[in-house]
Amino acid sequence: MTVTLTRTKVEQALSHSFEAVAANLPGGRAVAEARKAAIGAFAALGLPHRRIEQWKYTDLRSALKEALSPAIGGGTPKASTTEIDGALEELAELDAHRMVFVDGLHAPELSTPGAIQGLEITSLAAALKSGDRAGNGLFRESAAGQEAVIALNTAFMTDGAVVRLAAGAKLDKPLLLVFARTATEGRLVTTRNVLELGNGARATVIEAHVALRGAAPGQANTLSDVSLGDGARLAHVKCTLAGEAASHLATWLVTLGKVATYHAFHLTAGTGLARNNVFATLKGEGAKLDISGSFLGRGAEHIDTTLVVDHAVPHCESRELFKGVLADRAHGVFQGKVIVRPDAQKSDGKQMAQVLMLSEDAEFDSKPELEIHADDVVCGHGSTAAEIDEDLLFYMRARGIPVAEARALLIESFIVEAIEKVEDERVREALAGMATRRLAKLSTSRAQVGNASD
Amino acid sequence: MLEIKNLRVKLADEDKLILSGFSLEVPKGQVHAIMGPNGSGKSTLAYVLAGRAGYEVTDGQVLWNGEDLLAMAPDERAAKGVFLAFQYPMEIPGVATMTFLRTALNAVRRKRGQKELTTPEFFKRVREEAKGLGIADDILKRPLNVGFSGGEKKRMEILQMAVLEPTLCVLDETDSGLDIDAMRIVSEGVNKLRSKDRAMLVITHYQRLLEYIVPDKVHVMAGGRIRKSGGKELALELEKTGYAEFKSKALESA
Repeated sequence: MTVTLTRTKVEQALSHSFEAVAANLPGGRAVAEARKAAIGAFAALGLPHRRIEQWKYTDLRSALKEALSPAIGGGTPKASTTEIDGALEELAELDAHRMVFVDGLHAPELSTPGAIQGLEITSLAAALKSGDRAGNGLFRESAAGQEAVIALNTAFMTDGAVVRLAAGAKLDKPLLLVFARTATEGRLVTTRNVLELGNGARATVIEAHVALRGAAPGQANTLSDVSLGDGARLAHVKCTLAGEAASHLATWLVTLGKVATYHAFHLTAGTGLARNNVFATLKGEGAKLDISGSFLGRGAEHIDTTLVVDHAVPHCESRELFKGVLADRAHGVFQGKVIVRPDAQKSDGKQMAQVLMLSEDAEFDSKPELEIHADDVVCGHGSTAAEIDEDLLFYMRARGIPVAEARALLIESFIVEAIEKVEDERVREALAGMATRRLAKLSTSRAQVGNASD
Repeated sequence: MLEIKNLRVKLADEDKLILSGFSLEVPKGQVHAIMGPNGSGKSTLAYVLAGRAGYEVTDGQVLWNGEDLLAMAPDERAAKGVFLAFQYPMEIPGVATMTFLRTALNAVRRKRGQKELTTPEFFKRVREEAKGLGIADDILKRPLNVGFSGGEKKRMEILQMAVLEPTLCVLDETDSGLDIDAMRIVSEGVNKLRSKDRAMLVITHYQRLLEYIVPDKVHVMAGGRIRKSGGKELALELEKTGYAEFKSKALESA
């Protein structure tokens, strides 16, 4: 029996949008063909919805209420470094190479990439136009459940960073990729990054997805395609502050070579709907992966972290630690899947998701999943959702700490365990500062209730 | 002066009284010990003085320097000089001991109308007190009480007490879980804080602690109120006779 699904208005509109802008999207014929194939695949798939297992808690078909018109440039982006710095908060002070994208398009005048031996850095749009290999194999079908989102990314991507670090090369300071939304009308912004580290190369790359003051809530679809050569080491940080009414879909496709180390951290806050989906494949023996993150939700925000870690070969290690704070009616989702292939003996995988619930109306759904085909492995997972410990709160108040301050300190101390996983001290402090400021906002509403009942 | 008058307290969700007409006066400058068997209401008394939620005061009054203590939030009480050394100090993961101490000290100093200490002043102050209690510097950098031994936790309580400069100190079974050496160190710390401006209430099950912290008065508590009061010699007497006599008294009156 064949079931023909009726396409929603939004799904139809996305296909129509593509027809309208296709001619203006960057890339030669091969890229155009890939885009066309991708939008065709999307038309067949539709937006992911709750009956697709990986999207059970994040139903895009009902969450995306309208199809915004794609941002494809034209006209000069209206943003200054001062405005960008304002949106970057503490990250603005970081001594870093900077590459800025405004509404999905590279803004060279705002960028300060360094000239470093072994570093090749260019915009995706330029790479696609020049027939660079970044344009090969654009549409991946390997990421189960995420195909529709990747298809949309492939169809609409306008720009992004292509960063290649030669074997043995080392970035002297972090590379900060800034994706700023400025448009005063809601737009669909689609970006893709390619990060390739040669054998033994080392780098810290930070992606910051922010909205400038006055920008209309928009939709973002971003993809980072990351590959680490043997012995390479990448610290990859993602900071998502996309805006209270904005939606943000992110896909990271990561592959690790032998004894490569991938150390990632996500800070997600102040974003209406966020889905961070990481697919990581440990392809070389001895590879180590560590993904951690903090998510802070309030209002009706929805923050989904979905990780799929694939131990394809023996002797690899994976660690995942996510800590969330949910206030008001916020909804947190954590799905962590660890796959251990038949040959991947001595795999070591650990996963933990912990959430602090500040409101009875908040919701947290956690789904760990172990798919183990080898017999000599150590894999574990855990998940907790708790309220603020009243005994701890009393202890602190008995020492003279006012209830609001005590609450804030407890929330901060809860989240800090994840942030401490960030190895670069300056980056860690910047993220901690940004998280703390938002935590203060989360704890205020409840603190007032607490005072009234004293 | 601490004045507790006919205090009756029950758990919020139960009917049985835990404190059944408890009365006590502790003038400034004095140390009073409260001894009693398990379940006599000693810890409840400590918690009620500090303002823990979950208890309901059905009758009676607690005045501290003439002010109604029961009407104040726990942190206000702390600002007014009340300090409870917990029987089971809490572990606070993620909050460094120094950060905790500093937050607490600044909070009470602000409320007391005193200037906050500068960072160097604060560190100097804490290190001095910590040294006296045999607390190593690296412990101060660790999250409060996390992974500390029983003895370390109790010493940490006394350190907090010394730093926060309370005027009413309530020590709840501070001796539990301490070996003789730790007990000596903790007691010395407490004795250093004895002064004419400070009242202390030392709650203990055993007489042992009172060899080190010699009280001005000893009260025997059973069945939620004081059954007998006397000088320090009363503690020794109890060591010989035990609490049996008081337990039966409590049963009769229940």
